[in-house]
Amino acid sequence: MSQFYWEGARHGALLLQRCRACGWYLHPPDPTCPRCLSDGFDHVAASGRGTIFAFTIARQAFHQSFADHVPYVLALVELEEQAGLRVLSNIIESDHAALADGAPVELTFEARGQWKLPQFRLRRGPTP
Amino acid sequence: MTMPWTRPVAVAGVGYSKVTREGDHDIRTLTLEACRSAIADAGLAPTDVDAIMEYSFGGDSPSAARAQRLLGIRDLAAFNDLMGTGPSGLSAAMDAAMAVASGVCETALVYRCITRAAGHTGSVRTAPIHAAGDLQFTAPYGLGGGIIHTMAMRKQRRVAVLGGSNEDYGLVAVNARRWAAGNERAVLREPITMDDYRGSRLVADPLVVLDCDYPVNGACAAIITTVERAADLAQPLVVIDALAYGTGANADWVYGEDFLFGGTRGCAQRLWSAASVTPADVDVAELYDGFTHITISWIEALGFCGIGEFGDWADGGRRIGPGGGLPLNTHGGQLAEGRLHGLGFLTEATLQLRGQCDGRQVPGAAVAVVANAHGPQCGAIVLIRP
Repeated sequence: MSQFYWEGARHGALLLQRCRACGWYLHPPDPTCPRCLSDGFDHVAASGRGTIFAFTIARQAFHQSFADHVPYVLALVELEEQAGLRVLSNIIESDHAALADGAPVELTFEARGQWKLPQFRLRRGPTP
Repeated sequence: MTMPWTRPVAVAGVGYSKVTREGDHDIRTLTLEACRSAIADAGLAPTDVDAIMEYSFGGDSPSAARAQRLLGIRDLAAFNDLMGTGPSGLSAAMDAAMAVASGVCETALVYRCITRAAGHTGSVRTAPIHAAGDLQFTAPYGLGGGIIHTMAMRKQRRVAVLGGSNEDYGLVAVNARRWAAGNERAVLREPITMDDYRGSRLVADPLVVLDCDYPVNGACAAIITTVERAADLAQPLVVIDALAYGTGANADWVYGEDFLFGGTRGCAQRLWSAASVTPADVDVAELYDGFTHITISWIEALGFCGIGEFGDWADGGRRIGPGGGLPLNTHGGQLAEGRLHGLGFLTEATLQLRGQCDGRQVPGAAVAVVANAHGPQCGAIVLIRP
């Protein structure tokens, strides 16, 4: 179900499911569009630009594989493609004190073995 | 058609096992103790029970069939093993109420048993996670501990967009211990201060340990039957005035459309539409506190104050404490009594309306509201003493 997402990430793209009939983005993917109820989809590369909707700084690992990563930032990022389109990700390479709801972020990647993880960092410089 | 389909329903009995912080406990023994206690409380014998509903996360609570065998009941007219995606332990009572109202059964036993081994989601997992379904899009980022991280994000966003402060959440935590002092069953009865709350260990900013309920070993049970039958049983009559569910749009813990409130607002609307009373009539509120954010959501969703107004409304905790205008979680909730996982809010509300809460009794309590869970799995009940 998530193979397209991880294959896309490996090639440097954040791929999302988009309804072929009405253009609605759906994440996580499902076999039908909740908006127009049609079943045809494409996988489309997102712009990678969005804003922080909510975030937390994880201080405690709930799985041993994250024990060496704390503290790390988990966030819901609302993508500019569509109001309410949110992805769960990490905010990396960013000053924790500068994190805030509505702060602009951009896509970045960290390697995980042979795979890459689509993540976000605070967008630098003036915002449009 | 001779099935009645709609009959008034009551809570006729409540019971508990011992609630403990330590030890390795057999869930069959805990369940049996709570169920026998609830049956006896109602003035019934086990063979009077013709339906069993239970809520669990799979094998962490005995199945209805197991409880049936343990209690020596030869057959059941209705039963249901409710999944973890329902409105916590209250879902068993809600299911039973609908079954009794329909006439498919007469007297239902409901329970939730839980142990620290099953309920302690704060522990560190070492086994590889088989990330099925939507978890494939969250587990690789380190979203873990059940709903802990999404609750931390809700607390963060609530303060950011609705205002208020970290201390608003502290009011719920401090309140739980104040009430727990009067509840011998509660495992955390020592008072805490707002300074204790401020100094509590961060789990995931801004969520602290004292925002989270406390894992225990224990079971909680209730008897649901018709008002007609309950009126002839051992306890003062407590009637289920209304019940309602709610999921919210795009129902999901992570991606739900109403991230801060989940299904609580729709559930509350339906509840008050169905009830014979209004929020102004409520004498006692028993609202889920698996995380403090959930309690605040319910207070606002149920209309006790406006959205975002909890902090001012709570008046430094006076309004929700002993002697306040809206006594809240009078047993100490799951933050202090311990995580009996939902059904404990119903049993406490029932005891309050029966006037049997000794030192923590809310004088003259006649109307109670009970709510469970959050996000995509909300449920609520109004109880009245006629």
